[in-house]
Amino acid sequence: MGLLEGIKKYSKENPTITTQHKEAFSMFLELGFPTQNDEEWKYTSLKKIISKEYKIENKGEKIHENEIIESSLGLAEQIIFLNGELFKTPEISGVTVTKKTDKNPKYHDATTALNAAYAKNGYNIVVEKNTKIAEPLEILFLTKNSSNNFIQYNNSILLQENSSIKILENIKNLTQNLCFTNTVTEIKINHGGALELNKIQDHSDSQFLIDNTKVVQDNKSCSTINTILLGGTFTRNNLSFIQNGVHCESNMNGVTVLNNNEFGDHHTYIDHKNEQCESNELYKGVYAGKSNGVFNGKIMVRPGAQKINAFQANNNLLLSDDCSINSKPQLEIYADDVKCSHGCTIGQLDERALFYMRTRGISEKDARQILTFAFVAEALEKITVPSVYEKSKALVEAKLNITLSIEQ
Amino acid sequence: MLKIENLKAGVEQTKILNGINLTVNPGEVHAIMGPNGSGKSTLSSVIAGSEDYQIISGSVSFYGDDLLNLDPDERAHKGIFLSFQYPVEIPGISVSNFIKAAITEKRKKIGLKPISAKELLSQMREKMELLNIKTGYLSRNMNEGFSGGEKKRNEIFQMAMLEPKLAILDETDSGLDIDALKTVANGVNKLKNKENATIIITHYQRLLDYIIPDFVHVLHDGEIVKSGGKELAKELELKGYDWITKDAN
Amino acid sequence: MKKEELSEEELLDQVTSSEYKYGFTTNIETDKIPKGINEETIRLISSKKEEPKWMLDYRLNAFNIWQKMEEPDWANINYPKPNYQDIIYYAAPKQKQKLNSLDDLDPELKKTFDKLGISINEQKRLSGVAVDIVMDSVSVATSFKDKLAELGIIFCSISEAIKNHPHLVRKYLGTVVPVRDNFFSALNSAVFSDGSFCYIPKGVKCPMELSTYFRINEAGTGQFERTLLIADEKSYVSYLEGCTAPQRDENQLHAAIVELIALDNAEIKYSTVQNWYPGDKEGKGGVFNFVTKRGVCYKKSKISWTQVETGSAVTWKYPSCILKGDDSVGEFFSVAVTNNFQQADTGTKMIHLGKNSKSTIIAKGICAGKSNGSYRGLVQISKGAKNSRNFSQCDSLLMGDQCGSHTFPYIEVKNKSSKVEHEATTSKIGEDQLFYCNQRGIGTEEAIALIVNGYCKDVLSQLPMEFAVEAQKLLEISLEGSVG
Repeated sequence: MGLLEGIKKYSKENPTITTQHKEAFSMFLELGFPTQNDEEWKYTSLKKIISKEYKIENKGEKIHENEIIESSLGLAEQIIFLNGELFKTPEISGVTVTKKTDKNPKYHDATTALNAAYAKNGYNIVVEKNTKIAEPLEILFLTKNSSNNFIQYNNSILLQENSSIKILENIKNLTQNLCFTNTVTEIKINHGGALELNKIQDHSDSQFLIDNTKVVQDNKSCSTINTILLGGTFTRNNLSFIQNGVHCESNMNGVTVLNNNEFGDHHTYIDHKNEQCESNELYKGVYAGKSNGVFNGKIMVRPGAQKINAFQANNNLLLSDDCSINSKPQLEIYADDVKCSHGCTIGQLDERALFYMRTRGISEKDARQILTFAFVAEALEKITVPSVYEKSKALVEAKLNITLSIEQ
Repeated sequence: MLKIENLKAGVEQTKILNGINLTVNPGEVHAIMGPNGSGKSTLSSVIAGSEDYQIISGSVSFYGDDLLNLDPDERAHKGIFLSFQYPVEIPGISVSNFIKAAITEKRKKIGLKPISAKELLSQMREKMELLNIKTGYLSRNMNEGFSGGEKKRNEIFQMAMLEPKLAILDETDSGLDIDALKTVANGVNKLKNKENATIIITHYQRLLDYIIPDFVHVLHDGEIVKSGGKELAKELELKGYDWITKDAN
Repeated sequence: MKKEELSEEELLDQVTSSEYKYGFTTNIETDKIPKGINEETIRLISSKKEEPKWMLDYRLNAFNIWQKMEEPDWANINYPKPNYQDIIYYAAPKQKQKLNSLDDLDPELKKTFDKLGISINEQKRLSGVAVDIVMDSVSVATSFKDKLAELGIIFCSISEAIKNHPHLVRKYLGTVVPVRDNFFSALNSAVFSDGSFCYIPKGVKCPMELSTYFRINEAGTGQFERTLLIADEKSYVSYLEGCTAPQRDENQLHAAIVELIALDNAEIKYSTVQNWYPGDKEGKGGVFNFVTKRGVCYKKSKISWTQVETGSAVTWKYPSCILKGDDSVGEFFSVAVTNNFQQADTGTKMIHLGKNSKSTIIAKGICAGKSNGSYRGLVQISKGAKNSRNFSQCDSLLMGDQCGSHTFPYIEVKNKSSKVEHEATTSKIGEDQLFYCNQRGIGTEEAIALIVNGYCKDVLSQLPMEFAVEAQKLLEISLEGSVG
């Protein structure tokens, strides 16, 4: 029995409570999981993933203290979910963390509708006015199951006026059984607020993820989301930024390194609705083995949104004959006094740089390693939390090491 | 030729020119100097007709005609030329094509036949020799990838081709090394004659060693607070602007 | 104190409105068949053209396939779907015999072309361009046929080629754009009226530019040309395509197919300057332009598509290159101007199959009025296309804040040794650029024309000389105020 059947069975046993939840589930049933006929899923097939059998929101096995410590970065302030249950919340003055209970979940397509109907767990973070949090916050989702499991989280973050916070988010499946996670996170940044959200996605082969993160920004706010994708058989990141105010800044950066049969899809969307705003997007990808990458970055500039600066760059290195990349950088511009550009490159390391390094006595293997790391470094450096940066750097280097040695 | 009376102008809420009075006659070279923020560039932009500034009161007449009522291109046809402090790039248009367009428009407005390619080319060669510019320059795109010196030389080359009655050189010396400065000054001097006039706007007195002014004016807080001959420039070089601005205050 | 200046809107308005010069009709008798499309219509068309049976079969097969297909819906365009039964599929000017010399051309027709400013007369003859004229659905005259025949070059209407060179037509027709390829290619394959056929033999460099002019004259007709151009090994040909249509209230349909075949070491240069009627300022009328243009490149061959588009109410066209042979080269240079209520969804597809294949895409869009211009491109590098290269640059120039520009580039890469570079920028004409030109005595309208020209230079320089001049004029007309 595939996932769709599993969900239908689950819904009979757990009927939706409110009308809103019911409507959301109806929409999901009507649309079904997206197929490759859907423009937004043209290069991304869910077929294999949903053909498997999953338990829905299963209780799971006990997760021990040492497993938690091993999986986390060990930041002082943490939010930890174990098998969907909120296990630990931080004690930070000016920040309130509760379990999310959504009365009116928003959705716009099949997977977000499914999440709106049935997501049981998630966090709700509120940062108070004028509070600038110095300590970064680590959010960890751990699951451990004796069978395949499908789990959903519905999260929200609210940054009140002039507040700021930096967050690290990580999902880990501790077993070889499949864990398919469908997450929706709604973020609102009020006037003058600033957010940095770092997603470290060092997924194992048994972790599938569809992540929908939407950021709505007010005047003079700034949001930066850095996604470090280093594995996983199926990861789909939907990232959107809606600039509701003026003088907003939105930054999206990504580093992707995949090999074997891994797959990563980054879909980003920035909606410039008002004037005098800017957005910067930098996604770097390195693909090897039989991996596949998809990048789709859409920049929308609405009528009247003058004096916008929107930059997007997607650069990729392909290291094997069996990997592939599908890239679609899109621009939809309705205002004329704007500076918008996007660039996409797919290529190889600069042979001259390689040669130069070797003439200075560096082995070819090391030279490739150094240059490939340098290639992704520009995006990696957008992480401003030192501990998170160090950890990410170590993970990227390790992944590149393996990736490059396979290709030699 | 040019008569500015009690000119007041500003941008949005800020008043920049607070009552400029200046008369320029044919054959004269005027230098306008002053500390940063005194309104020098505003003055040149206002004479050229930039829409960035609003006229508050006062008048500017050119050969007796009201200038303020004319569009920038109409003022150009009357014979006013501005050498920009920061010349803008226009990709895809070669220098020769740009000059051809400018000359064609001018001739159209005064009722002359369009210039033939042959005549244009020979005129351009003549001026390039005058200004010591190499061939190959003509096919480069307008200011695209030009160094600071090249941009300023491009301005003077256009001036040579358009033969204006009044040339306003806005900080032409900024960003130039001594050799580039000498070349530019040389060009300006060769183009000077009894019928035309030049207004040099500058911060430093350096350029005035090479282009000798007849009159020097000091601009402060949007007004001309002191005028004199070329010795005034030398005095400023030694003493700076403080002694004048203190007096003015 | 300053004189009443035109507000930016008013100036923009003046600058972007245009008079369509070609909105007149020719008084000439036409032979028409009744409206609508069914098997009878197809047979009627085939018999009027005196076609052999294999051609009729090809059409009937295509018609069957078309009936089972659905009209595509996906472009970023809104348009009322044409009623296919409300179109006349065949209209030919009644002319007794095929002409070899332009002197024998019906004077009415000749007047038409003179009015169009198309220099198919003495001027062109002196400059040596061979011209094939298609009025409505029928190729009317071809110049220089004899001279070309001496070199073994065949340049004639496709109807003629079907009769006189059937082996060539049968060998290549539908090999680049098969019947099933899309809705409009199936329709075209069933009802195509006429078009140009050209064959350049091995090793021959065609000494003159070949040109065709298409004109839709008869009301209510659809224009379905079919062009087939074959450049045999080591040959070269430069081909110009130009089009116009009279002003009418109802929309006209133009669904054409162009197939290019460049065999080993051959080169084809295909240039189009398109000025279909764009609909009036309210968006009524105008030509619906759906074209499938595709070329296949064999080893070491090259196909370049160059186009300047300023007309048509709705455009949907993607000239493509299939880079089949190793070391083949595909190029696409385009300037697309949209104004008033026009909508254009254009772009190109470069399919890299051969090793070391190269493609270059330079697309410049200029949008004004309330128009929408979209660029949709596909660069597909297959696994076997080792060491291939692509460079794409898509720029948009927006004039005014009521228009929109969109780019949807699809980049699909399946091997590691290729290099793909794609850039897109959006800009507007800077106020400081305009002021600079003003100060040099260049009025704002002229300055805009100058700057736009500079913007499109990379593309315009690819056009053969006669076309480049025409294209520049066309750009100016589409963007300048109505010349008073």
